Amino acid sequence: MADTAAEQHEEEVLTDQDIVTGAKEPKPKAGDVKAPELTGRIEIPKLEEGVMGWSKPHAAKPDTMEEMGFPPGLVDNWEEVAVKKLGELLEKYKSLQVYMDICVRCGSCTDKCQFFLGSRDPRNMPVARADLLRKVYKRYFTTEGKLFGKLAGAAKFDLALLGEWYSYFHQCSQCRRCSVFCPYGIDTAEISMAAREIMDQIGIGQKYVNTIIVKLHEIGNNLGMNPKALKATLESTEEDIEEEDGVPVKLPVDKVGAEVLLVTPSADFFASPHVESLIGYAKVFHQAGTDWTLSSTASEAGNFGMFIGNYDHMQRAAMRIRKAIEELKPKRLIVGECGHAWRIAYSFWNTIIGPLDGSVGLKLEYPRPQHICEFTKDLLDRGAIKLDKSANDEFVPTFHDSCNVARASRMGDLPGGQFEIPRALIKAACNRYVEMEEETIREKTFCCGGGGGLLSDEILDVRVQGAMPRMQAYQNVKESHGVNFLGLICAICKAQFTKVVPKYGVPMIEVGGVHQLIGRAIELGAKE
Amino acid sequence: MTVIEYEGKTINVDADGYLESIDDWDDTVASALAEQEGLGPVTFDQLDILMFMRQYYQKHRFFPIVHAVCKNVHQPDDCVSDEFMDPVTAWKIAGLPKPDDEVIAYLKR
Repeated sequence: MADTAAEQHEEEVLTDQDIVTGAKEPKPKAGDVKAPELTGRIEIPKLEEGVMGWSKPHAAKPDTMEEMGFPPGLVDNWEEVAVKKLGELLEKYKSLQVYMDICVRCGSCTDKCQFFLGSRDPRNMPVARADLLRKVYKRYFTTEGKLFGKLAGAAKFDLALLGEWYSYFHQCSQCRRCSVFCPYGIDTAEISMAAREIMDQIGIGQKYVNTIIVKLHEIGNNLGMNPKALKATLESTEEDIEEEDGVPVKLPVDKVGAEVLLVTPSADFFASPHVESLIGYAKVFHQAGTDWTLSSTASEAGNFGMFIGNYDHMQRAAMRIRKAIEELKPKRLIVGECGHAWRIAYSFWNTIIGPLDGSVGLKLEYPRPQHICEFTKDLLDRGAIKLDKSANDEFVPTFHDSCNVARASRMGDLPGGQFEIPRALIKAACNRYVEMEEETIREKTFCCGGGGGLLSDEILDVRVQGAMPRMQAYQNVKESHGVNFLGLICAICKAQFTKVVPKYGVPMIEVGGVHQLIGRAIELGAKE
Repeated sequence: MTVIEYEGKTINVDADGYLESIDDWDDTVASALAEQEGLGPVTFDQLDILMFMRQYYQKHRFFPIVHAVCKNVHQPDDCVSDEFMDPVTAWKIAGLPKPDDEVIAYLKR
């Protein structure tokens, strides 16, 4: 029986798409690859070239691709289409053109990527990843590449190279840590976004991200949570809060004319530990006496359009939020704990769905949008809410900067506010606080390993490897200072760490949101 | 489609092991599905959780908050993960259709 099955397998004709996506290749069961050993410090590993080449995400189904306006599968003339698309992107984004031309092979980025450090695979060095696109650029867009080919670092865009693209552009979380260290500021995230956009345009998309984008367009959030389910979930959380604290803290939804519209990642509505932060926001609004609401149609701050470098989808997804502003007529717009969502909110909303100003009824004296951490910090500074630190005495917290907040946005009105404000909140809510190693925090923070659309189970091994530097830094302060709580302000970080920390022997309960700590410490009830 | 034989019963599941039709579910089917997940025959406490998830699904077409499940069936806060490892496994044993990728990303341990 087994022999026949094997023979049949051999006889099976592989399509070009199968070759690129590795759909029929035998590979380890997700999660079977061992977590890298924590050696006590983050060091350059012994190299194993190509060792992660097998890791490829599931390809998006034909109907998903078509719904997004992409070809259903790999097109026959894909090389031609890809080169044409690359030409358009180079025209449109001058930055991309510069990144293609400017690399001087200094090597500064080589040991800065968590996926390289965790996988040992030098193809995960940022320069090697960028070269996958640069080779194609040189071959089709530069004279020396056309004339001298390989000698000039150029390569024909063939199936084997496309297969490498599919592997290694899905081992980049677009975290931009490498660009902090690049003397020219080459942004590998932008290169990886361009590569994914090109792959979508020739019919090869990633299932996890694309399915979610379609879901977001259809239902209004990544989880596919319909308005009725959302309302039921919020009611159940309201009951929980009242039972626990004896205070009727509300989670209003679709309330026209509320002062604040809160847009938050949908995971906050029901995943754990995310929901604890939602409870935290609600208690802050309650105690501050702020009239606020959620929207059942704009029930998602996340926007995966960015991960695939597709601004049309990013804009379409964000448009739900503008619609909700027009319908609910809030005066202020606040965003919950989410990394990439905050980048999009802070850096893109005003251009893609804006301007977010008086023309949509928002008050000009507040930041538009404003981060929930900024909002809470302001209340604390004014003494409008009080925290009882002893409520968190069981915790010795530290803070993990989320890449998109740290390196692609700001918070508050002071430089570095995105680093200091969340830390200030934790310190206001807890008696103790410990910082992780300097090289792993603030703008040099490592990615959790699950950002950029990698939060999918079939690439769990990549995620576990990518988490290694953060796990090492956490383990070090755990051993030296008894740290037992990793404070986060990102839905993806929360889900990723909850899943991968057990692989490093850390209990998953040590992961939670900054507003989870605020929610536990806030003094509810009448003000003195 | 795959067929599972269990205690003389024939059970149809999809390629990922989810029950083909949610109406084909009873406690024997639950035990068969539990066995596929490496768990023993379902207990009364487990059945309570599964029934609640099914009722919730029929009403809301979505996952309940895990905490709400345990509260409603009067079991400890970690009941779902204690009894089934994670909520997605419980969902599967409850004979409900495969959830979306993002739900799996956030709930599957």
